[in-house]
Amino acid sequence: MKTLIVVLQICILYIFSYIGNVIQNFFHLVIPGSIIGLLLLFTCLCFKIIPVKWIESGAGFLLSLLMLFFIPTTVGVMNYSSLLSFQGALFILAVLVSTVISIAITGTAGQFFEKKAQNRKGDQECSKPHSPSV
Amino acid sequence: MQQATFAFCMILVTIIAYLAMAKVYKRYSYSVLIPVLTATTIIIIILSLFHISYDRYMVGGQWISSLLGPSVVALAYPLYNQRRFLLDNLLPIIGGVLVGASSGMVSVALLAKLFRIDHSLALSLIPKSLTTPVAIEVARGLGGSASLAVVCVMIAGIFGAIVAPSIFKWTRVHTPIGRGIALGSASHAIGTAKAAEYGELTFSMSSITMALSAIIGSVLGPIVVWIFHI
Repeated sequence: MKTLIVVLQICILYIFSYIGNVIQNFFHLVIPGSIIGLLLLFTCLCFKIIPVKWIESGAGFLLSLLMLFFIPTTVGVMNYSSLLSFQGALFILAVLVSTVISIAITGTAGQFFEKKAQNRKGDQECSKPHSPSV
Repeated sequence: MQQATFAFCMILVTIIAYLAMAKVYKRYSYSVLIPVLTATTIIIIILSLFHISYDRYMVGGQWISSLLGPSVVALAYPLYNQRRFLLDNLLPIIGGVLVGASSGMVSVALLAKLFRIDHSLALSLIPKSLTTPVAIEVARGLGGSASLAVVCVMIAGIFGAIVAPSIFKWTRVHTPIGRGIALGSASHAIGTAKAAEYGELTFSMSSITMALSAIIGSVLGPIVVWIFHI
């Protein structure tokens, strides 16, 4: 019974992904169909068009196995033995350096924005007239 | 009939390799033992031993890949669960994600220019900090190679999760939003798994960032390629 529910819910997610693909092809969008499906489902959940119960088991199941679905694509690396070369080393180095730069910049920026938002909230609370506490 | 049996065997090999390696990772929890990396290595070794080409493997493998689409759609579920937290911190999150997505793409585009990396290779580099299914589609859309893009995504994910703690110490990033956004935007799903070690708030920040970066990144990718003439 539980397996059946998971399978049915995955079908619902599949339908959203399919609709997303149709929209992407129809309007020739750059955004992947699956992402359009994600936005559609999120909207439907927020407006209670689709109850969370209809997808939570299926979504939980897929997300717990997320890494598995990547593996057939990653195995494709076997066709790229050319990466074991000077060009390949530079290519990998570009990814490594960019990752370090990105983490450093984004972490600092995120923390900065967070503190700024908190300060503003703090200011608003201070400027509010204090209601007499009993 | 024989074709179907072969496809089934390939699916089975993939699932067994994944489950076994997931168990090993859970037991020893070294970042280097990430199941995607270890299971992929094992499958490549098996395929080379039996002289099976990637195209023949994909007769079975494509069935597993076909679940990528619904999995991305499934990300709407955690996003919906955390919608309140998302709304409360909307401005810092959006600001951070924008900085994250653009710093990742612009820096790798500049490095590709600096290192004089080949045109078609460079196109596969651009989506390296997006979550894999999205990176695959963005790379395809840009005209790069999907499997090469996945290699970049994996390297960015694993390396990011390993070096992030030292970078946070060095740049003095201590807040959950700062750490979560940095991990989610630079190292996607693997970074998000790493973020769980910093607590629930950092974890939810990272998963939200991963989903938002996917959306922003798929729009930003073509723009970066256009600006830098890659």
